[in-house]
Amino acid sequence: MSMEMSDTKSARPVTPVTIASVRGLKVHFQSKAGRVHAVDGVDFDVRDGETLGLVGETGCGKSVTGRAFLRLLPVPPGILAGGSVMFRPQTTCPDCQGDGCERCDDSGRRPAPCPKCRGQGCTTCDQTGIESLDLLTISDARMRDIRGDRIAMIFQDPSKALNPTLTIGEQLGEVFLQHRHADLLAAAGIAEDQPGWQASALRRLASQQDRGTDRLLVKLSGAMRRKHRAIRQALDERIAAALSETQIPNPQRVMQSFPHELSGGMRQRVMIAQALACDPDLIIADEPTTALDVTVQARILDLVRQLQTSRGSSVIYISHDLSVVRHICDRVAVMYAGRVVEIGDVEQLFTNPRHPYTQGLLAAVPTTRTPRGQLAAIPGSVPELIDPGPSCRFADRCAKAHGPCASHDPALQPVSAGHDVACFLEHPITTASRARA
Amino acid sequence: MTDASSPLRRPSLPRETALRVRMRRSGELAVKILSNPTTIFGFVIILLMLSMALFAPWLTTPNAPDPYQMPRDWGALRMPPGTPNHPLGTTNTGGDVLYGIIWGSRTSLQLSIIVVSVTVVIGTAIGSIAGMVGGKIDEILMRIVDVFLSIPELIFALAIAAILGPSFTNIILSLCLVFWVKYARIMRAQIILVKQNDYVDAARIMGDSRLNIYFRDILPNAATPVIVQATLDMGAIVLIGATLSFIGLAESGIAEWGVLVSEGQAGIASGRWWASTFPGLMIFLWALAFNLVGDGLRDALDPRTEGR
Amino acid sequence: MTRLQSSFTPDASKDGGTLLSVRDVAKHYPIRSGALQRVVGQVRAVDGVSFDIRRGETLGLVGESGCGKTTLGRLVSGLIAPTSGQTYYDLDSSSLAALDAAQTLPEAERHAALAAINAAHGIETMPIEAKNRFRRNCQMVFQDSFSSLNPRHLVIDLVGRPLRVHKEASGSDLTERVVELLEQVGLGRQHLYRYPHQFSGGQRQRISIARALALDPELIILDEPTSALDVSVQAQILNLLNDLQAERNLAYLFVTHDLSVVEHMADRIVTMYLGKVVEAGPTRSIFDASAHPYTRALMAAKLDLGPAGAASENKAVLDGAVPDPARPPRGCRFHTRCPVATAQCGWEIDDIVRILERHEALCDTLTDVTRESDFAGTLVFEDADAAQKMAAVLASEAVPQPFRDALELAETTGTKLRVRFRQAEDIKLTRRGPDHLAACVLG
Repeated sequence: MSMEMSDTKSARPVTPVTIASVRGLKVHFQSKAGRVHAVDGVDFDVRDGETLGLVGETGCGKSVTGRAFLRLLPVPPGILAGGSVMFRPQTTCPDCQGDGCERCDDSGRRPAPCPKCRGQGCTTCDQTGIESLDLLTISDARMRDIRGDRIAMIFQDPSKALNPTLTIGEQLGEVFLQHRHADLLAAAGIAEDQPGWQASALRRLASQQDRGTDRLLVKLSGAMRRKHRAIRQALDERIAAALSETQIPNPQRVMQSFPHELSGGMRQRVMIAQALACDPDLIIADEPTTALDVTVQARILDLVRQLQTSRGSSVIYISHDLSVVRHICDRVAVMYAGRVVEIGDVEQLFTNPRHPYTQGLLAAVPTTRTPRGQLAAIPGSVPELIDPGPSCRFADRCAKAHGPCASHDPALQPVSAGHDVACFLEHPITTASRARA
Repeated sequence: MTDASSPLRRPSLPRETALRVRMRRSGELAVKILSNPTTIFGFVIILLMLSMALFAPWLTTPNAPDPYQMPRDWGALRMPPGTPNHPLGTTNTGGDVLYGIIWGSRTSLQLSIIVVSVTVVIGTAIGSIAGMVGGKIDEILMRIVDVFLSIPELIFALAIAAILGPSFTNIILSLCLVFWVKYARIMRAQIILVKQNDYVDAARIMGDSRLNIYFRDILPNAATPVIVQATLDMGAIVLIGATLSFIGLAESGIAEWGVLVSEGQAGIASGRWWASTFPGLMIFLWALAFNLVGDGLRDALDPRTEGR
Repeated sequence: MTRLQSSFTPDASKDGGTLLSVRDVAKHYPIRSGALQRVVGQVRAVDGVSFDIRRGETLGLVGESGCGKTTLGRLVSGLIAPTSGQTYYDLDSSSLAALDAAQTLPEAERHAALAAINAAHGIETMPIEAKNRFRRNCQMVFQDSFSSLNPRHLVIDLVGRPLRVHKEASGSDLTERVVELLEQVGLGRQHLYRYPHQFSGGQRQRISIARALALDPELIILDEPTSALDVSVQAQILNLLNDLQAERNLAYLFVTHDLSVVEHMADRIVTMYLGKVVEAGPTRSIFDASAHPYTRALMAAKLDLGPAGAASENKAVLDGAVPDPARPPRGCRFHTRCPVATAQCGWEIDDIVRILERHEALCDTLTDVTRESDFAGTLVFEDADAAQKMAAVLASEAVPQPFRDALELAETTGTKLRVRFRQAEDIKLTRRGPDHLAACVLG
């Protein structure tokens, strides 16, 4: 198979591999007053192993975009009005078995081959030979397999995201039982295709699809009991390992505690452990430190950064806090009123912001240098997004708004390598496009 | 909240006044309540019942001297519906079922209005004291409430009515003694919840009196669940009142639906369904109507959706 | 201590004098448990805090969540009554001197000495007219603008209410006054007859500010006024607050956890940790030369828009969690997490559990503790091995060096482990520079 792949792919990828690409994503919400265009044509790529920041103010659609990856949107009132979220799952590099080699750029991982053509290139995978899934259209069952396994999410408020009636160990265990039951069975010495009613009963137990009789069998048969205990033990080991990876002291003890017995920072660590449990390709972190104190935030950010580098996962980091994004992200997409207005490397974007909104946001953060009372505030507030017409969404708050801003939609276009801006100041509207509009 | 009414977007209307805005808000609320078809259905039934009660003297010839006593037509016992002068038939004792239904709506209305208004006032007062004062007084009041709540409403009312002797007034009295408890509990819980809002602290900081804060900030924001409960109880009380009079705790012979059902039930076995069925239907419709309106109010006044 | 404290109080001539003096204020909340709701302990939300607010200045109050800063804000506003201590309003310089002199006296004499000042200036004890004057002059803006505006009131009622309560205006006069106030906060006549839910978060906060301004106060307590807002709107509100301060010579008590905001806004800063003030001083000297390791840790954790990399790596990031405020650590309350702690910082028996609980299963076999004091006592274990093991751990790298230094005695007899730590007093605020105090044994 590896031989076949070498035909279709060059030895080393020239451009960074994109693990996910969002194209024209539109999420609308039906309200009494009309259709709220919460996300209205968002495009961006997530490259393999990078942290992409998604920043913007309340109501800019950043969380909705993040949730669209896992289809965690209430439908209705939400409407997936268009676009796609293509996701390319990763797999262990077949050449080096995860040790890192030239072919996989020393990461030990490579995009999974297209299941239809086994990496040959066919119409399904657009001749790339790489498996691509449109997260908006795949079946619910497939989505469940991906959630928590290939794509994980860290929520803003860990006290709401953790079930108060289950211990930390039980909650973390669910992830493994859901996605890693084969591993657990293997650890207990049961092969995946081992025949016999005992093995199938244990398999059902491990994948949480047990029938009432299975538990009874485990109670009655000594051999079954031993096997089952081995599964539990393997599970506990994995949970403890996942917890200690997030630097939780005394994981054995934490496993047995309930969420309310832990501090906010500790709970967020548990959330991170849960998200990273299955070594996902993509982690969506939705304001993971907003509810925490600065001192705890600093530690959590360090942790996320460190785990992300060591595992090579990609992260979409959603935040309203520019200074956090500045410190944790490789690239940043600035969102405003349901659109990406600027995207680029963190360095480019923070030192040379090109969109007036990005400039305004950066100037509004108080720094040591700002004289008292002279913060550059952006006047007005975020516009309503009910059935908006074609115009730059920022036009009525923008000091530099001019002719086309009020009547035409600006598109994201490059200003320099890897730095795109949607603004008519950078890309004056041509008569051709004016005519088209 | 959407920015549909964002001040930046919409120029203000000329000569706004507080009164006008409040009227418009009430209008919007009414529209919202009436946007639900089942609520409208409930309202229509209630309106029909009310007009029936209101026009009772014109719809039938009132019985003299006491119109609330059933007139007896000793010449037309046990007549089926459709009999001349007795369109819905008569009872065993010659009582006109239609007369009973029409004047019974007055009795029911009296019953529910008296009981609900008395119990809402008592319950709100006691719940407010418990919630506002707190501490020992709260503890004592709530233990009393617990005692009342531990006995089923119907049995409690039954016991009191039995002690006081059979009369319709005593049914009202016993229901008053039973129903305030619920309101006291709801009110106390609401007040404790509303008290935590910063606007209460803001009012304290500006130096407003406790009474003012209670009436301006706390009560209006705490009242919604009590209003909803009261609406639901308008129906429930007629149901319980009818039950009590059915088992004979009201004077026999008065125009009351429960009494009528009771009078008619003996004849059901011999096929005389009408004497029980029509008043029974009225009790059902009454309870249903108030339940529908109560549910509609609950949805419309839900703080999570209010003002959106 | 008191002399040093009074050095933190300004001399009246310079800044137009002291507006509010908080002296040794504490607020303890009882912890009740069991069927009879017996009081089993006290959560010391605020535990002996003193500072002054001067006319026309912004005093920043910073600290992590749970440090007592919000409780302190409410104490100062008079919303809740202190367990002990008092806030004094409008002291002249001679009363202020008398007040500070009284703090040094023994308990019995202090009461007598304070009686006159308490009666005239203490906000809990002052006569009703004086209290009314205080009420008018001390207003508050809350964090959550949804919860702080009554949803059933129109803007005119919300903003006009203080005027009605104090019978300052009514009818068309009231309307005009409200319009004036709204215009000052960047709103206008067209907003008079609207409900709060018709406004955005920033506008609602403006309404709150207009309401606070209605009685023309001298002091506004700002409890996290911008933490629920977006950064662009936060900038609008901060600018507005600054403009209003300049126009009206307002004093602000700015309670926040956001160091960038407090650096931008405050003239002076008070840092709190577990109910106590650990450092207080002018903003610049706090930021440039903080004397307390906790303040330094807060600064280190603060992120800014500068380039990454140099930031989090080599900075001391705080370890562990904030200890239980029902049983705060002895000595300096920060010593359990302090990167530069010494043996003098107040290590005690409870620290054994605080530090080792998180690490190993050592404390699982601990059955009983008998204490002679907070610093000496006997730990009883289930078996002798556990006691030996604990003794070994207490002498190892598992506990910090200063902890080991402070541990004067750790001897095992059977299942018992007798420990004794160096005695330590509470750490007082000492002078670190002009107007700059810190409570730390170092420096």
